Amino acid sequence: MKVAYLMLTPIVVLLTIFVVIPLIYAMYVSFYQWSFYKESVFVGWQNFERVWNDSKFWGSIWVGIKFVFYTVPAGFILAFLFAHVVKLLQGKLGSLVKTSIYVPNVVSGVVASIIFIFIYDYQGGLANYLISLLGFEHQAWTSDMRTAMLSIAIPAVWLGFGYTTLIMLAGLNDIPASYYEAAEIDGAGWWTKMFYITIPMMKNVFLFVVVTGTVGAIQQFDLPYMMTGGGPLNTTMTPNLFIFNHFRGDPYLGYTIASALLLFLIVGFISSLMFRAFSSDKAIDS
Amino acid sequence: MRGKLSASQVIARLIGLAVTAVSLFPLFWMAVAGFKTKTEVLGYPFRFWPTKWILDNYQVLFQDWKFARSMLITFVGAVIFTLLGLAVNSMAAYAFARLEFPLKRLLWVYVIMTMFIPSMAILIPSYIVVAKLGMLNTMAVLILPGVAAAFAVFFFRQFYLNMSNEMEEAAFMDGANRFQIYLYLFLPLSMPPFVIIGIGSFLGYWNSFIWPIMTISNEDLFQIMQLLAYFRGERSTETGVIMAGSTLAALPTILLFLFFQRYIIQGIRITGMK
Repeated sequence: MKVAYLMLTPIVVLLTIFVVIPLIYAMYVSFYQWSFYKESVFVGWQNFERVWNDSKFWGSIWVGIKFVFYTVPAGFILAFLFAHVVKLLQGKLGSLVKTSIYVPNVVSGVVASIIFIFIYDYQGGLANYLISLLGFEHQAWTSDMRTAMLSIAIPAVWLGFGYTTLIMLAGLNDIPASYYEAAEIDGAGWWTKMFYITIPMMKNVFLFVVVTGTVGAIQQFDLPYMMTGGGPLNTTMTPNLFIFNHFRGDPYLGYTIASALLLFLIVGFISSLMFRAFSSDKAIDS
Repeated sequence: MRGKLSASQVIARLIGLAVTAVSLFPLFWMAVAGFKTKTEVLGYPFRFWPTKWILDNYQVLFQDWKFARSMLITFVGAVIFTLLGLAVNSMAAYAFARLEFPLKRLLWVYVIMTMFIPSMAILIPSYIVVAKLGMLNTMAVLILPGVAAAFAVFFFRQFYLNMSNEMEEAAFMDGANRFQIYLYLFLPLSMPPFVIIGIGSFLGYWNSFIWPIMTISNEDLFQIMQLLAYFRGERSTETGVIMAGSTLAALPTILLFLFFQRYIIQGIRITGMK
């Protein structure tokens, strides 16, 4: 049928130009010493070897993983707990809370960065004002090696909190109330219900939250770019920021592209590990 | 209020309101700070409300064209991006859901495969491609690369698969061609998925940052987030102006969400369940 092909032409053309060709090109360029200005030279695996042996590249992967550990568990737990609270709220208050907590999710990383840069301001920021009330000294939040990661993690959790809560809530609402009623008749307490009903029934929701959260966090760019520039001493140099800085500073793009491809493989590897971890959990298979 | 509230209900309400207040606080603070003088935004000790409400920051923002123009072209870009995306992706989804043709499976795999390619892996080669096509510093470079989205095709296809066959066959018998059926029968019924995907596209475009800073260097085409970041670098002491600018830059997405919040919050049910 001709119509079908006509209807598919735009998407196929666009995907080919802007996704498939760049991907093939990425693989090609990663084997060359390539720049806009010079003849490119085939260098085999050399770019990959350089990336593989570059402690800065691995440092950025490590920063990405640390950022995941700063943001995903905290966001997960807060959202899971708060979803239980929202579940109890009915009527207008319930919808008010659901709508309000989602609002930060539509705010851009750039705007969030700007707000939090001001909150962390050394002299007049809210963060230092609050800790000074508790008797602590002012902190240089974003430029101190000990607090820089935490400083960019907090806005990340803030941005994602409402969305994660609503996903968790949808998961909770999907569990039939009869399961809990039956458990109560058998005399099950809160913990028993949590471990034998809620958590097993939420497995897919948890998997979704953890995998999307991890994949998103490891690719964080806006917050470190705006708030710390990757510093101090590269402690917040996430992989994407590393790649971007390399792109800006190095006219030979082979290395940069090789590192992006390697990052892609690492992220894929991590998410497949997580799928395994969740799906091999036979003990709670229903 | 009917009846007495149980203790757990009261506690849930209190926690609910407290958490809501905390999560909205940064945005309210930003909005209010836009009406403060620059010494007061980061004044010590911390005060939430301004001693005197001023409009000077907004006057500064609009004293030249830059800010308003950036808001306007980002808005126009986002609208075009969203509409093109809805058209291209839903059309493809219709073909995959309702039509039979040779190579269908192959094309489906070709489209869906792209969903698993993270944008970062192809960011720099995409830049090379658009540079070679002479697209740098044009609106096209901001709009076109993201229009085709496998995720959206997948989402629309699910929706179209569930629609009934009868009307479609009846229209076909009446001599409508498949494209007309898509246009006059399927599109009008596509509101729910269109709103969800459309808002996602609009937000994605409006909030995008890394792609504009790579491909746009001409200040006349600065996208709003790019301009805001630039502002923060150039006028870092003008704290009130930065807050006012951030408020305006965040406003369209927040309003859009509030307007369509019903659809979006129901959409979370859909994506959360599968």
